[in-house]
Amino acid sequence: MKSIKRRRFTDKAAHWVIKLGGAAVIVVILALFIFIFLEVYPLLKDARVIDKKTFLLSESVIALKTDDQQEIACVLYKKGLVEFISLTDGAVIKKHPLSGLGNALITSVDMADNHLFIGTDDGRLLTVALSFSESFDQGVRIISPEVSEEEPLCFDDQKKPLKSIICKKSDSARVLIASSEDGRLLLRATEETTSLFGRGEKKEVVQDITGLISGAGRNDAPHLSPPDERLAMTPAVTSLALDHFLENLYVGASNGELFHFNISDKENPYLVEKIKASDTAITALGFLLGDVSLVVGDQRGGINVWMRVRDEALASGWALKRIHTLKSHNAAVIAIAPSFRDKGFLTAASDGTINLNHATSEQTLLTITTTAKPATIVFSPKANGALAVDENNTLYLWHISNPHPETTLKTLFGRVWYEGYEKPEFVWQSTGGTDDFEPKLSLTPLIFGTIKGTMYAMLFAVPVGVLAALYTSQFLHKTLKPIKPVIEIMAALPSVVLGFLAGLWLAPLIEKIFPAIIIFPLFILLFISFAIFLWNYIPPAFKGRYKHGAEALFLIPFIIIAAYVSIQLSGYCEHLLFSDDYRRWLNDILGLRYDQRNAVVVGFAIGFAIIPLIFTISEDAMNNVPKSLISASLALGATPWQTAMRVVLPTASPGVFSAIMIGFGRAVGETMIVLMATGNTPIMDWNIFNGFRALAANIAVEIPEAPMGGTLYRTLFLAAMLLFITTFLVNTVAETVRQKMKRRYSKL
Amino acid sequence: MKKILKTGTPYIWLTACMLTISLLMIGGLILLIMVKGLGVFWPHEMVRFVLKDGSVVMGEIAKTESIPHIKDTYRTKLKIGNRDAFGLDFQWVDHEAVARREYPPDALAFERREWGNLYGFLKGLKVGENTKPISEQELEALIKESYALYKKIRHVEKRAIGNINYVMEKNRLTLRRLQALPSNADTQEKVNDIQVDVNRLESLYHTQENLLAELYQEARKQEVVVTISDGRERTLPVFQIIRMYAPNKMGVFAKVGFYISKFWEFVSAEPREANTEGGIFPAIFGTVMMVFIMSIAVVPLGVLTAVYLKEYAGDNIISRLVRISVSNLAGVPSIVFGVFGLGFFIYFIGGGIDSLFYSESLPTPTFGTGGILWASLTLSLLTVPVVVVATEEGLSSASKSVREGSYALGATKFETLWRVVLPQATPGILTGTILSMARAVGEVAPLMITGVVKLAPSLPLDSHYPFVHLERKFMHLGFHIYDVGFQSPNVEAAVPMVYTTTLVLVITVLTLNISAILLRNRLRKWYNSSAM
Repeated sequence: MKSIKRRRFTDKAAHWVIKLGGAAVIVVILALFIFIFLEVYPLLKDARVIDKKTFLLSESVIALKTDDQQEIACVLYKKGLVEFISLTDGAVIKKHPLSGLGNALITSVDMADNHLFIGTDDGRLLTVALSFSESFDQGVRIISPEVSEEEPLCFDDQKKPLKSIICKKSDSARVLIASSEDGRLLLRATEETTSLFGRGEKKEVVQDITGLISGAGRNDAPHLSPPDERLAMTPAVTSLALDHFLENLYVGASNGELFHFNISDKENPYLVEKIKASDTAITALGFLLGDVSLVVGDQRGGINVWMRVRDEALASGWALKRIHTLKSHNAAVIAIAPSFRDKGFLTAASDGTINLNHATSEQTLLTITTTAKPATIVFSPKANGALAVDENNTLYLWHISNPHPETTLKTLFGRVWYEGYEKPEFVWQSTGGTDDFEPKLSLTPLIFGTIKGTMYAMLFAVPVGVLAALYTSQFLHKTLKPIKPVIEIMAALPSVVLGFLAGLWLAPLIEKIFPAIIIFPLFILLFISFAIFLWNYIPPAFKGRYKHGAEALFLIPFIIIAAYVSIQLSGYCEHLLFSDDYRRWLNDILGLRYDQRNAVVVGFAIGFAIIPLIFTISEDAMNNVPKSLISASLALGATPWQTAMRVVLPTASPGVFSAIMIGFGRAVGETMIVLMATGNTPIMDWNIFNGFRALAANIAVEIPEAPMGGTLYRTLFLAAMLLFITTFLVNTVAETVRQKMKRRYSKL
Repeated sequence: MKKILKTGTPYIWLTACMLTISLLMIGGLILLIMVKGLGVFWPHEMVRFVLKDGSVVMGEIAKTESIPHIKDTYRTKLKIGNRDAFGLDFQWVDHEAVARREYPPDALAFERREWGNLYGFLKGLKVGENTKPISEQELEALIKESYALYKKIRHVEKRAIGNINYVMEKNRLTLRRLQALPSNADTQEKVNDIQVDVNRLESLYHTQENLLAELYQEARKQEVVVTISDGRERTLPVFQIIRMYAPNKMGVFAKVGFYISKFWEFVSAEPREANTEGGIFPAIFGTVMMVFIMSIAVVPLGVLTAVYLKEYAGDNIISRLVRISVSNLAGVPSIVFGVFGLGFFIYFIGGGIDSLFYSESLPTPTFGTGGILWASLTLSLLTVPVVVVATEEGLSSASKSVREGSYALGATKFETLWRVVLPQATPGILTGTILSMARAVGEVAPLMITGVVKLAPSLPLDSHYPFVHLERKFMHLGFHIYDVGFQSPNVEAAVPMVYTTTLVLVITVLTLNISAILLRNRLRKWYNSSAM
């Protein structure tokens, strides 16, 4: 015999366990929401500096580079020394004086991959290759840098200092462009062509292309005006940018003009377009990742991103356009450093402010400062750090956390002007073929797709569900009530089955007999009339107790015949209405494209899935309408139909409303049917004969491939959150309305 | 006309029509699945078309239809098999082009382990360079004989070599863990032990490998020569043949026997040829096991919630919140649960378990990737409302007088609940469990991202310790339908099987639902009678 104490204790303990168990459901739903929200939240957070370090260098620096791990910085001093510095303690790992430089000074540098192209004050060019070899010693990674120089090249015959220099390489060619201190623009290209016999031929072009800027036309007619005079007319070149296709050369000038040259034929480069890009001097140019978007910085600190956009009005078919404008600096922009990961870039201004920007999302994520005017800046290869050296010879290293620079509310829901598009658009395209592909994550097409699918499904399901419920609750004979569970079973059919049949059976079928779908409602009406007519002629003795209430069963053969007849007449109808081919007709007359897996199919399949929901809940509501009301109405001489429409339906309307709401919630979140029965193309088009891509199906397709914590991953969580919030609101409203209605009935 | 409309009768007929349409849709759907799914394994007659251009096409008739837009013309879709010879499975033949149509009685169909069916005429058995004639009965005997050989090969491949690999992998992980520890005499000894074991296993592996090579050589000795429709000869190793039959000679009984054996193979065998042939046993097994784990998780939670709502909660804010939570759990899209399962269970909890207990195998995740446990737990959240609603109904059916009797005898609230109320609510709980199972069997979207795969290398339950492998990925009937129907490289050949899979799934779901409805009705009757 257990003691009373122990029994009491058990009772108390059970009390708490059960209470906690009940509360667990609240915890689950809260956890669901909070967890999803926590995954979404970082999307909209700004970048921040995790850690900042400074090191004092001995001399003035002209170029800077770092490795993937931000452990080593490679520094090029103006006087011609390459130095590798450990970024953990500032120790010098290796020094390498450039022997090819002689007594000259460095005036300009271009960095590409692991090469430094150095322009000197006596018009020469020095190419330096850097390499890092890794080795492991007892589990510790040791990086040993190597430097190798190429023979210096005499670039400018006049031996003037090279003010800026740029170099790009492809597999078979190399192009060098430099501007000299006295305002000349020089081009040197080497191309290797493989002849038919497999022998490599080297071709070198050396040209002075200053004439292209001065407007004197092609440079092969120098006799037209003496060189000095030409130079006087030429705006001073301030900055250069060349893409890796070795095709487009952009030159920024001191009068704010931006020149675009096509140099694909190295012997005959020509000016494509000249544009006034700024009111003041252009001070810096830089390509973003992919070498399509061009960042232009000017004297007043303005930063704009330009891009070539299709324009039929121009001869070349392309026009340079200002696409994005970013937050301005307060002083002249002196350097632009692109990210190697995305469309982000750093800009440095002469007042020592450095901004971290993202072109597509048009946001400035972070501002950091140096104490003096920056000499050079660089983005770390993984875009998680920035390095700068200022004129006080201080080296700065910022570790930056910037996980989602490309996301703003505008990029998620608004129109965004992406590279390669003619105008701002809503685009969802999460993966692409190339490394420099930019994911385009606008949720708008997906939201649109969800609404489209839901709407077509509701158009089908609401009339069928509600009217069938009205009939079942008001007119169906008592002995036929077991029909209800049959419809409930319809609700139990897995959506994957519906999706499979819709995609692989219904879609090809509808494509084949589409005209039949159009004439089917007509035949239904026709055959119902016929059925009513026939019903009146059936002797009452034969009907037995089913004088009323068996209409639905009586109609079965008629509907089947109606379907059969419309399918048989499909071809004839197509011939009559659509001049033999409805798809061509749709395309020619209405301009609509017909996809096999389209919104009709999906609407039908999702409708099938939600009809039982709408049916069951509204039937319950109509069944619960107090009998006294109905009897009163009938007693006053109203027909059964009048009673149904004027008494039952209005009284049960809150229930019907919540049924429709719950059906809506189900349709919004339906995944498998949409996934299988549409083409899943994220287009925005109300055309009922097109497919679409919906939020839920999109999550199912893309989340297995999305790296955890990445922008795509979080964006998909955001999509899930939208679904959650929508269905939560809809369900809560429906539930509240239903509870209220129940209370009202209990009073009646 | 106006008068008729005024009575409202036509409108009533219209609403009746909506019910009729709903009924016809459900009936038509089930009929469609039955017809399409049941017909798949019935052996069709083999037809040989001699075309007007002299070429010959032979195969099983898949379907015949009229050619669109051209009157009174028909075409037939033939399953021509011989994928390795023709590159296609199906071919359309216009009836216009056919010169002669015949049903050769000695046409044979060979079901192969690879490359699908082979249709043709038996030429003989290859002996060295020559071909020796052989009768069908003799070949039948040979096929039976070679099956024993095939089983042996399978055993060596799957069990013997599989076991060795399993132990090897275990050793590798132990070794890694030991190497991460500071080295001393004790660990050194263990490392040496493992080295010895590894060497032993390697030699074992080699013997098994040699055995396998021998077996394969023996198996390849016997080859049949078959003439296919275009007159070419193909050789076919006997052990590659699963089944040989002559559809044109089969009587009804033979066909029924064939059908039954095919259907049995379908539900009991493993898939072949990227899921387009063979069986779906792993998918059935995976589904059942997932549903089982899910119900272990969902029933306690659902019952506790229902008991709380019905017995313990007053009409306060918390109970109202619980009700709203339950109705929302039922309404939130299943894919959202999937996303939660992926982020919370897999990456958060699974990742945590990995870094605590399975750090030696990182970066390969053990629990930090989709698996049957996570999929089941995700689904259990989804199905809680089903259990709650059914249990609540069961609890309200508990008779009041018995309960009051229990109190009067001095039982505490919990004792009354445990001994008196819950036993009476058992049918309700059972109904809820069955309904939640039915829901889980059909749900696919959340599983797709929490651990279902198209082809799992091993079942989540096997003979290796600890027998139940909750971290393993698994196959699922619903996902199988999606994957084979939409992701398969050879959809045309795969679709007939998908219909059968659909049939199996639908029958399972309907059986579960109908039994739940019957149980519920019985419960209601009992409730009504006890209330009086």
